[in-house]
Amino acid sequence: MISSNDKLNINICKKCILPETFPGISFNDQGVCNYCRREEKRLEKIPEKKEFYRQKLDQLIAEIRGESPTYDVITAYSGGKDSSYTLKLLRDNYDLRILAMSFDNHFVSSLSWDNIHNVTKKLDVDHINFRPPWFIMKKIFSMTAKEDIFPAPTLLRASAICTACIGLVKSLVLKTALEMEIPLVAFGWSPGQAPIQSAIMKTNPSLIRQNQLALKKALILTNAKALDRYFIPEIYYTNYKDRFPHNIHPLAFFDYNEDRIVQQLNTLDWRIPTDTDTNSTNCLLNAFGNHCHLERHRFHPYVWEIANMVRQGIVDREEGIDKIYSKQDQKMVEYARKRLGL
Amino acid sequence: MSDVKKQVRSFVVENFLFGNDEGLKNDMSFLDEGIIDSTGILELVNFLEEEFSISVDDEELVPENLDSIDNVASYLERKRT
Repeated sequence: MISSNDKLNINICKKCILPETFPGISFNDQGVCNYCRREEKRLEKIPEKKEFYRQKLDQLIAEIRGESPTYDVITAYSGGKDSSYTLKLLRDNYDLRILAMSFDNHFVSSLSWDNIHNVTKKLDVDHINFRPPWFIMKKIFSMTAKEDIFPAPTLLRASAICTACIGLVKSLVLKTALEMEIPLVAFGWSPGQAPIQSAIMKTNPSLIRQNQLALKKALILTNAKALDRYFIPEIYYTNYKDRFPHNIHPLAFFDYNEDRIVQQLNTLDWRIPTDTDTNSTNCLLNAFGNHCHLERHRFHPYVWEIANMVRQGIVDREEGIDKIYSKQDQKMVEYARKRLGL
Repeated sequence: MSDVKKQVRSFVVENFLFGNDEGLKNDMSFLDEGIIDSTGILELVNFLEEEFSISVDDEELVPENLDSIDNVASYLERKRT
């Protein structure tokens, strides 16, 4: 009853694409997984929620526009498809004062740097890049390649390597927002990556402090010295307590169609990188991160995201299967492994 | 255990612990123990709003209200009185 996938010789849900190896999964007689059944009610409410969040963002922007001495919004900008499109949406729909911030993890594809350059230039957006030293990133990635230092729920959505990298990005972007008094922090999460109810969220000192402690506790295991400077200093929680921004991820509630997004980005001279794996449009480490996760957990770290998008009708099921169950590019896996000295 | 705690516990176990409630104590910190991450907190909020017909304000999104089954139950009690 359950679709069998020859590529991995594994049973997957007949409706979405979650595999039998996904934690907590069970299938009914029709081969549909418990996650699909659980999501049914939520999916019905998505159109209504999208409208609600669009209005909420309009209101929020009306309140904050021009109030900061610096920028209205800082965007975590990887140069990939989704964050590039987020940048374009914010520029075209709201004409905000935008600061785009990239994080150079030492594995950003060279084609992605071209995209970053072209998009920020075409959109007239200020751009800064943050690059920690190689020895720190190497330590973090080497450790996370070998061990899962993060809690199990986090690893349902991303590999340990990605979680470490994104944890630093989130922290640095928030830190910059606090220092520069920027009221909005934007991310390009796809509609499958984060639930719509988290699409607009006011951050606050106590919740962020607790999140940061959890991340620190995990990253300290990498034994990478000097990580402290990438986290929110304790004094910020009191001195900047009124500056804690709203986090937004607009792609959760704007129309999301990959082909149309790429077409629109092409007008900004953004090109699909040919040197990355099928799940990333900017990172040369991603295939290795996926490989390590698959070896340890026997499910792909992107399968939750893509399964969500299949359920929402954003990604065609067959396309989803291709993205998730195609073999990892061995050359890319070896490239990263070699650079990390593993 | 109160009905509210049972409902919250059941949601957490089903959505974040893959049905396995072994070792989950009602006073355990969701964030410290890695039971729920920052995204998950918002999923929990959505559940509370829908299940208990309340509205969670931005300033109420703090660990004191949401970071354990006990905290959530106390918060709900305060909201509903």
